[in-house]
Amino acid sequence: MTRRTALWPSLLLAGLLSWLIGYPLLITLFDALGLSGGLAGLSLEPFSRFAARGDEWLALWRSLWIALASTLLAAVVGVPLAFVFERSDFPGRRLAGALLALPVALPPLVGVIAFLFLFGESGFISRCVQGLLRLEEPPWRLAGPGAILLVHTYSMYVYFYLFVRSALSRLDPALAEAAAALGAGRRRTLLRVTLPMLRPALTGAALLTFMTSIGSFSAPYIFGGSFRVMTTQIVASKLNGNLEAARVETVALAALALLGLALLRLLDPGQELTGTVRGLAPKPPPIRGRLARGLTSTAAIGFTLLLLLPHATLVLISLVPPHTWTIELLPPELSWVNYKAFFSSLEKLRPVASSLWMATVATLGALALGFAAARGSLRQRRLGRRGLGAVLEGLIGLPWAIPGTVFAIALAATFSVAAPWFGRFVLVGTLWILPLAYLVRSLPVTGRSALAGLRQLDPALEEAAASLGAGSMRTLRRVVLPLIRPALAAGASLAFITALGDLVASIVLYTYNTRPISIEILSQLRLQEIGIAAVYGVVLMVASTLAFTLWGKEGTA
Amino acid sequence: MALLAGLAAGLWTQGCADDGRTPLVLYSPHGPDLLRLMEREFEAAHPQIDVRWLDMGSQDVYDRIRTEAANPQADVWYGGPDTIFLRGADEGLLEGYRPPWASAIPEASRGPNDLFFGLYRTAPVLAYNSATVTGEAIPRDWDDLLSERFQGEVLMRDPLASGTLRTLFGMVLASSVAETGSEERGWQWLRRLDAQTKEYILNPALMIEKLTRQEGEVTIWELTDMLWQRHRGRPLDFTFPSSGTPVINDSIGLVAGANHPQAARAFIDWVGSAEVQELAARKAYRLPARDDLPAEELPEWASQVLAEMVPAATDWALIAERGGGWMETWDRTVRGRGAE
Repeated sequence: MTRRTALWPSLLLAGLLSWLIGYPLLITLFDALGLSGGLAGLSLEPFSRFAARGDEWLALWRSLWIALASTLLAAVVGVPLAFVFERSDFPGRRLAGALLALPVALPPLVGVIAFLFLFGESGFISRCVQGLLRLEEPPWRLAGPGAILLVHTYSMYVYFYLFVRSALSRLDPALAEAAAALGAGRRRTLLRVTLPMLRPALTGAALLTFMTSIGSFSAPYIFGGSFRVMTTQIVASKLNGNLEAARVETVALAALALLGLALLRLLDPGQELTGTVRGLAPKPPPIRGRLARGLTSTAAIGFTLLLLLPHATLVLISLVPPHTWTIELLPPELSWVNYKAFFSSLEKLRPVASSLWMATVATLGALALGFAAARGSLRQRRLGRRGLGAVLEGLIGLPWAIPGTVFAIALAATFSVAAPWFGRFVLVGTLWILPLAYLVRSLPVTGRSALAGLRQLDPALEEAAASLGAGSMRTLRRVVLPLIRPALAAGASLAFITALGDLVASIVLYTYNTRPISIEILSQLRLQEIGIAAVYGVVLMVASTLAFTLWGKEGTA
Repeated sequence: MALLAGLAAGLWTQGCADDGRTPLVLYSPHGPDLLRLMEREFEAAHPQIDVRWLDMGSQDVYDRIRTEAANPQADVWYGGPDTIFLRGADEGLLEGYRPPWASAIPEASRGPNDLFFGLYRTAPVLAYNSATVTGEAIPRDWDDLLSERFQGEVLMRDPLASGTLRTLFGMVLASSVAETGSEERGWQWLRRLDAQTKEYILNPALMIEKLTRQEGEVTIWELTDMLWQRHRGRPLDFTFPSSGTPVINDSIGLVAGANHPQAARAFIDWVGSAEVQELAARKAYRLPARDDLPAEELPEWASQVLAEMVPAATDWALIAERGGGWMETWDRTVRGRGAE
């Protein structure tokens, strides 16, 4: 392929992505500056008012340190787990290894509610501890930064676990053997060979975690109380009707997140690391020594069970008939009545259908766009056009830097005006605005995982295919896609699950016809139908888990 | 495969959505109990109209209608305190429409230029867990919440999203202005309430759940919902504060630029009629705003409420004018800071 022909598709793609991602944000920035009515409206006053208020700076600082601490904690939990499960064999490894990824299949809202029933003051665990220690008061309060970090770590270590595991599985063991043959000890091999090879996966996971937690809404919203982070501050301002403050806060948060993105990018390896598994990767060696094996097995399974407690709680709540569980340790009666109510009504099944089709369409779109952008970015860099490569990569990463609520509002503002010459169409109120929002929000997951997969791909393979006469489509289909399938599948399953359980974008953009499951959970909660809400939660969890294991299997095939 | 399944599901959803009837979209904080009832009854009376409702907090309704102002999705703004409606009216979110029952509504419960009308009446009440709070301990007035007995036992719905609590906080500050000429006494009271408060809870259902599970003992909550809770047999009860409670005009209005104005007007006409007001009172604990209904037509709970409830004199204009700013000040300087 010549340099010229390689340029146009990438430019077009950059244009499309800018329109979808950059443009709505630009419109929000213009609105914040008062420019929507023309240059005459330009005013920096809202910004100076913002800068003069201590509570705004405090909220920004809290957003930052919560995001950094969440990333660190998620890595501390996720990376060792990935090593244990990928690098050693013990009884129960397969099942526990698959179950470990389940926290990601628990949508934020549902997870937070399960945590409340588990660790909240009148929660199961809290009452057990209180009873065991014979305390007068509940042992702890599930509130403030500690509770937020707990939920973040729980749901986000999965990024590190999945990315690192997938990278480890693609790591050629011959490299480590070569290092050992050259006299490097295990520590040295780990530090000098394995970890550098894992850097794309580690930075990818760190970026996702950092961006997810800086834009995280459900946990600070429910547990934060007076501990305000920027996302909850924005919603409070907007709800108060102070749109001006909300816009400035949005811009400030976006600026902070972009700063974080830039700093984390410094950690990204500049050069591309390549390596392919030649032949079949060997099975991980079983742990030597019966005792060690038994202990590892027990610890791994025990830890997995602990991680599954919120899921179990959700199932339990879904089996509690309305208004029967008050102050008892365990629910006094269990029955299927909530499930009967759920499956006997077509109206109740509708949100499930809506969520499923919207998440499917969004995932497929995000997969195609994310892959194209990742490939374009790497190719342009290889051709020496670093700028265009960086723009493509930056664009697909951008939606993580922007809190979901804000992105949804930006999309709503942009696509509620009919001005085709300015690239604005009325999509609000149609079936397509929500899948579009999900797609945009899923791009970083699919894009980053495609990028991580492609970076580990030896370019010599493509060159070899080309020199053997394969066209670019054929190379793509027969060489590239099969090789990066694990990475793509991991990205796609995360994207699907995110879209399926999304609350923050949905709550702004849903219409009657596109009510997703999370919205229905909220309205069931409003009706105090906690059991029915839990049934929706269980359905969401099962659908996510199914998608996850199906694609996960495809990924390992 | 997945794509096909997705498209099939999409088409199915679509197929269900369009059956030739005129859709009518209601945005409402009233909750599914009343909304389901109204949907069923109205569709029975108007078979050519398909009622679709979205249920959310009353401040959320305003926020959403404002967000969608360029391309309105709602036809009827069904419910919320008139202070919030007044703000929507100022921002051009409502369209004037005078239903035939307008004259039965007291003058004070009507919006300017027929932009909205009071439909139901509700009020903040003192709610408590009746298993742990009994006899002498039962709170009788707002000040009882500040007693030592309830230190750290007060649960509160997050006031920002709640029209009920916004109204109550507004009344506290407005009466301070009316009686002392400044807001200071009101802020002091709200700071003391904050010091008593154990937790602000975002979702009303979770708050009721926590109150039931005895994580706290008292709260300030809305009359209609408490009537429902009692009806459902929860160990919860409520009292009307003796010094008076701000009686809220729960209103209704036509959304400006609505897609289905004909159906919307038909709904407004219907929902305010004497029969439907009585229906809502009998089946969904809604106290009618119109004052021409004969007392014997109303259910027993309603006459009991009317006998016990002490309406407080409230400067509604001041609340509508300063309420937004007050809540912002509260959020930034009172929440979670205690009495100091």
